[in-house]
Amino acid sequence: MELVKIEQMLEAYFEGNTSLSEEQELRSFFRKEEIPAHLEAYRPLFKGLDTAKKETLQRTLSIPAPEKRNRFWMYSIAASFLVVLGVAGFMNSQSGLSSEEKEALAAFKQTKETMLLFSENLNKGTESMVHLKELTKGSEAIAVLNEFNESKKLILK
Amino acid sequence: MKQKEFLATVLPIKDKLYRLAKRLLVSSEEAEDAVQEVFLKLWKGKSSMKNYKNPEAFAVTMTKNYCLDRLKSKQAGNLKIVHSNFQTGENLQKKIETNDGVELVFKIMESLPEKQRLVLQLRDVEQYDFEEIAEILDSSETTIRVTLSRARKAVREQLIKKHNYGVS
Repeated sequence: MELVKIEQMLEAYFEGNTSLSEEQELRSFFRKEEIPAHLEAYRPLFKGLDTAKKETLQRTLSIPAPEKRNRFWMYSIAASFLVVLGVAGFMNSQSGLSSEEKEALAAFKQTKETMLLFSENLNKGTESMVHLKELTKGSEAIAVLNEFNESKKLILK
Repeated sequence: MKQKEFLATVLPIKDKLYRLAKRLLVSSEEAEDAVQEVFLKLWKGKSSMKNYKNPEAFAVTMTKNYCLDRLKSKQAGNLKIVHSNFQTGENLQKKIETNDGVELVFKIMESLPEKQRLVLQLRDVEQYDFEEIAEILDSSETTIRVTLSRARKAVREQLIKKHNYGVS
């Protein structure tokens, strides 16, 4: 008989030994219009549990919109990246030489080399000038000798 | 986890969370506040929510903890939870008659210890299996069964008492 099964199930229910499907069976049994009088006392329990599940949240839940803040961060990161990129690019262009500058630098180098060569030769020339000094001394001595000869001639006359 | 995904996970269980909060806090307004708070907390920690194999159980656990904290701070603040005593009041008596004793069952449930209320709510109202309840309450299945049995018997005892009183 079904009723015996229900009674056994009810006993197990209070011991905490029923499965979810058995509990479902109990609930549907107590939803019936006609139930034996001795089980009538349990009707409010199961009806109460059914009713308890019908309650719903009436308030609308809200979450903050953090998307905007996120986007702001993304923009600021992008902007600072651009700034860094710009500064780096500027610095790079400063150190890099344009073709005109390269030409000028090459000309400068060549001029410098020429000047060096020139000064070297000039120094050599100056060194030779020392010998010239001695020549002057020699010629002076000759002049003195000439004078000596002239005066000798006069004496001999 | 994006907003859409988050809402898809949390919104279907909002009523469950609300009912649990109401079972513990009794006041529907406080229960609404609690669900809103938990909702925000879940939203803030949504990245970690992915790591849980059962996000629903995680949300239920969080709601339970939040409500128990609320109850604790209330007691600490010397604010007693307003329990409308189910045994007194003519008004209530009338309500019980019109509601086939359903209201009485709610009042009895309110009078149960928190742990019993929780187990009864999770099992008999929301029909979670024992494994999930054990996970939510961080307890063993055996302990859950014992608590559940006590809660069911407590409701029965008071219900039968009232029923007999009404009959005689």
